[in-house]
Amino acid sequence: MQPSASPAQTSPRANLAGWLYVSPLVLVLVPFFVAPILVVLAASFFATDGFGGLTPGFTLASYVEILHSALTLKLYLATIKFTVLTWVFTLIIGFFVAYFLVFHVRNQLLAIGLFLLCTVPFWTSNIIRMISWIPLLGKEGLINQALLALGVIRQPLEVLLFSDLAVVIAYVHQLTIFMIVPIFNSMARIDKKLIEAAIDAGASRFDIMRLIVVPMSKSGIALGTIFVVSIVMGDFFVVKVMSGGGSASVVSAFYEDVGVLQYPNAAASAVLLTLVLVAIVSLILRTVDIRREITS
Amino acid sequence: MAIERGDIELAGVCKSFDGVTNVVDGVNLKIADGAYCCFIGPSGCGKTTILRMIAGHEDPSAGEIVIGGQNVVGLAPVQRRTAMMFQSYALFPHLTVRDNIAFALRVRGMSRGDRLRAADAMIEKVRLTSFADRLPAQLSGGQQQRVALARAAITEPRVLLLDEPLSALDEQLRVQMRQELRRMQRELGITFIHVTHTQLEAIALADLVVVMEHGKIKQAGAARDVYAHPHDRYVAEFMGGQNVLSGRVEKVNGASFTLAQAASDGIEVPLQARAKVSIGDQVDIAVRRDDIALVRPGQALPEGCATSLPSRVLAIEYQGYFVKVMLDTVPDDEFVAYVPERTFFADPLTVGDVVMATWATCSARPLAQRSVAQREF
Amino acid sequence: MSAVTADMRDTIAPPSTKAIAPSKGNRPWTFYALATLFALYVLALYGPMICIYILSFQDIRGGLVFPMKGQSLHWFVDLFTQVRTGDVKGSFDRSIKLAVIVTIITVVISFLAGLGFRKRFWGDGVVFYMMIGSLVAPGLVLGLGTGLLFQALGLNASWYTSALGAQLSWTLPFGVLVMFAVMSRYNRAWDEAAYDLGASRWQTIWLVIVPVLAPGIVAVALFGFTLSYDEFARSLQTAGSLNTLPLEIWSMTLNVTSPSLYALGTVTTIISFIVIGASLGSIVLIQKRRGRAAEG
Repeated sequence: MQPSASPAQTSPRANLAGWLYVSPLVLVLVPFFVAPILVVLAASFFATDGFGGLTPGFTLASYVEILHSALTLKLYLATIKFTVLTWVFTLIIGFFVAYFLVFHVRNQLLAIGLFLLCTVPFWTSNIIRMISWIPLLGKEGLINQALLALGVIRQPLEVLLFSDLAVVIAYVHQLTIFMIVPIFNSMARIDKKLIEAAIDAGASRFDIMRLIVVPMSKSGIALGTIFVVSIVMGDFFVVKVMSGGGSASVVSAFYEDVGVLQYPNAAASAVLLTLVLVAIVSLILRTVDIRREITS
Repeated sequence: MAIERGDIELAGVCKSFDGVTNVVDGVNLKIADGAYCCFIGPSGCGKTTILRMIAGHEDPSAGEIVIGGQNVVGLAPVQRRTAMMFQSYALFPHLTVRDNIAFALRVRGMSRGDRLRAADAMIEKVRLTSFADRLPAQLSGGQQQRVALARAAITEPRVLLLDEPLSALDEQLRVQMRQELRRMQRELGITFIHVTHTQLEAIALADLVVVMEHGKIKQAGAARDVYAHPHDRYVAEFMGGQNVLSGRVEKVNGASFTLAQAASDGIEVPLQARAKVSIGDQVDIAVRRDDIALVRPGQALPEGCATSLPSRVLAIEYQGYFVKVMLDTVPDDEFVAYVPERTFFADPLTVGDVVMATWATCSARPLAQRSVAQREF
Repeated sequence: MSAVTADMRDTIAPPSTKAIAPSKGNRPWTFYALATLFALYVLALYGPMICIYILSFQDIRGGLVFPMKGQSLHWFVDLFTQVRTGDVKGSFDRSIKLAVIVTIITVVISFLAGLGFRKRFWGDGVVFYMMIGSLVAPGLVLGLGTGLLFQALGLNASWYTSALGAQLSWTLPFGVLVMFAVMSRYNRAWDEAAYDLGASRWQTIWLVIVPVLAPGIVAVALFGFTLSYDEFARSLQTAGSLNTLPLEIWSMTLNVTSPSLYALGTVTTIISFIVIGASLGSIVLIQKRRGRAAEG
C-alpha cells in the first residue's frame, strides 16, 4: 500500500491490472451505490400523483416545498442537536478509553484483551442493544426503581425512556466504539520514546496530552468523527424507537414520506441531506489523508 | 534453448523509471562464467537496479542483457536460470525452513516426497538440519541468510544474484558469512553477482569488482587492480586507502612530470607509457596511504623519495597493527598516513607535531582526468 | 473498522513495545480516574444487554422490566411457535443464508480489491472515494434508491437479489478497508521472491499471499458476516416480501411487548458470539499452528 509512483507515471499494463483487481468491487458499487443515488437524485425532480406513482419530468417543486417548510428547519435542527451531542460524548469517552488502554495499561496482553472487550458488542445486533435499554430506562425500569428506593424522586422519571435523552444514550452506546478504534489506532502508533523524551524535558502529564497525544491522535479523531457524524445523520431507527415517536430527524421524516409514498419529497430531502453530509465529510477529509491513515 | 552457462554480458543497458533521468546509464560489462562479481557504489548509484534487471525483476529501458549467449530481456527469472537472494531475505513467514527451501520445487509440480528429499539435502549443505522445522522468525540473522541462500540455490541456477546479502548482519557474523558465501560459490561453481556498499566486502570476495557512480561504471577489474590502481579520483576516494592530490603540471621531462604545490617544492610523478601530460594541465595523483613515510624535519629522506611535504599532525587513531595519522598536508583534500605500529611507536608523534610527509617517487600514480562535463557536474 | 487494524495487527504479531506510561513506580491518580471511566463504559456497554438476557428466561408471567418473574424457557418456545411473533424461524434462516453469501462475496472481492490497491493505477482515487461514499451514505436512502431502481427495471426485490446487493454496498467498504490494513503488513519482496522461484501469479496468490494474510482474511469474513447479519437500514426497502431477522425484530419492537423480544435478542446474540468466537478462535489457531511448527 505504499504507492511507489504517482498515478500519472503508471504504465498501461499496471492500470489494466489494477482495474481488473478492483472490477468486482466496482461491479457491485455501481449498481448498488452509484445507480441508487442517481435514482434518488432523479426522483427528486419528478412530480407525484400522490398515490405512489411518479411522473417523469423535471420540477424543482419538491425542493421548493422542502426549503420553504418550517418543518425542514426543525428536522435539521433536531438532527444537528443529536449529532453534536452524540459526537461530543463519544469523543470524550472514546478518547479517554483509548488513552487509558494505550498509556495506562502496562501489560500489553491485557490492553489487547480490554480492547477486544470493547469491540465485541460492535459485532452484535444494534437493534437488540438498543432494546436492551428498556428494562433499565423504562418507567418501571431499574434506574427509576433505584431512584425511588433511594428516595431521590417520588414519581418515576418519564424522561428516561422514549425521549431525546434516550436517543442520545442509545447513540453513544452504539457509536463510541467508532471513536475508540481509530483513536486507539493512532495513539498506539505514537512512539513511546517521544513521551519519555517529553518527560525528560520536564513536561507534565497534561502537557504531554496537550502537546503530543492530542495532535498525534488527530487523524484517529477525524476518522471517528466521520463515522459518528455520518451514522447519526443517516439514522432513523434509533430516533424512531428511542424517542417513542416524540422526536424526528431528517431521515426519520424521509422514512415517513416513503411510507406515504411521497417519493419526490423524500428524495429531495435525501439529496439535501447527502449534500450536507458530503460537505461535512469532505471538510474533515481535508484535515486528514484517510487513505494513508488506513494503510500505513 | 536452455541457458547452460552463467557468463553475462551487459550491452548498453539503460534504465529509467520516470522517462527523464537514467538510473542506469549505458552500462557495458562482461562477467565470466563462474566468476564472483561485486557491484559497489553509494546508494542510488544504480547497482541494485542492474542486479534486478539481470534477475528479471525490472526490464531495461534500452540495451541487451545476455546470459549464456542468449538475450534474456523479457524472460522470467526461471527461464534465465538466475536466482536472487533478497536484501532482507524475503523468506516466506508462514513456511518452515524446509518448505521455504522446497518452494521452487513445489511450484514446478515436483512430488512432495521428492522435493522434501531435495530440500533436506540442501539443508544439510547449508548446515541447518536441526532447524529444518523452524519458521524464519525463529532463526538468527545468519541462519536466515543461509536459508535464503539454500532456497535460491535449489533451483540450480547458473547465476546467483545477491542484494546486499550481509547488510543485515552484525560485524562478526558478516566476516563469517563472507567466507560461507565464497565457499558456496566455489562448491556450486556458478556465477555470483553481489551488490554491496562496503569496500572491504567487495575486495575480500570478488574476482571482479565493479565500481559505479550515477548509473555508470567507473572501473571494473580484479580487486587488487581496483584497490591499488584506481582509475580516477572517484574510484580512489571511494575504495579508500589512497591519498589524492591535485595540482597543475609545472614541468614534464621524459619519464616524469612535476606537479606544482603552493607550500613546497613540486611533486615528482612518474609518467606512464600511454599517459599524455602537458604543462599547465590540472592533474590528480594518488599515493597509497601505507606508502607514506613521516619524517621529522631535518632528518634525511628515505631512499627513492624525491618529494616531501611539510605537514602538521591533525589527529591520530590507533588501529591495532597500524596507526592512522591525519595530516594537513594539502589544503582541500584529506591526507592520511598509515604508519606500521612498531615504526610509529619507535618515535611517537603527537597532535600538532610538524613532520615531512614523503613517499617513494615510483609509488605516486597519475589518475585519469575528469572530463570537462564531469568537472562541471 | 480500521478497528481491526489495531486489533488484527496485535493478533498477527504482538508488538514487543510496552505500554508507554510509567512502567515503574506508583500509578498516578489519572490511572484510577481513567480506570473508573473505563469500568463504567464497559458496564454501560454490557449491562443493558445482560439485563435482557436475564429477563428472557422468565416464565409465562414475565414482563419487560425487573423484577424477574420465575425462570423458564417459555419465551424461547413462544418465539418459535407463536404466530403473532411472526416468521422468526424463516427470517433466521434467510438471514444466516444471506450472511454466508455476503461473507463469501465480501472476502473474495475485498481480497482482490486489496491486491489491486497495492499499486497506484489511473482512477484508483475514484474507486476509493466511491467506496467511502458507499460507507457514509445514509443506508435508508441507498436502500430506497435500490428499491426504486429494481421497480423501474421491472425486477422483483428479494432478499437474495436487491437486499444482497444493498448489503454488499455496506460490507464491502468495511472489508476493503480492513484488507488495506492487513495488506500494509505484507512485504512486496515475498511476491518477488515467489516470482523469482518460478511461481505463477496464481501460485503466488495461493501459496504465499493467502496463507500469509489468513488471519486478516478471517477478520474480513467476520466483518462480512456480522455486518450482514445485523444489517437493517439498507435491507428495509430492498428485502421484498420476506423479512430478514433484523427486519423481523424491528416489526416485533412495534407490536410485541412480551419477553419474546428479549428471547430473540438472546438467541441472536448467542449466534453473534458463536461467530465472533469462531473467528477469533481460528485466528488464534492459525497463529498457534505456526508457533508449534516453529517449535518442532
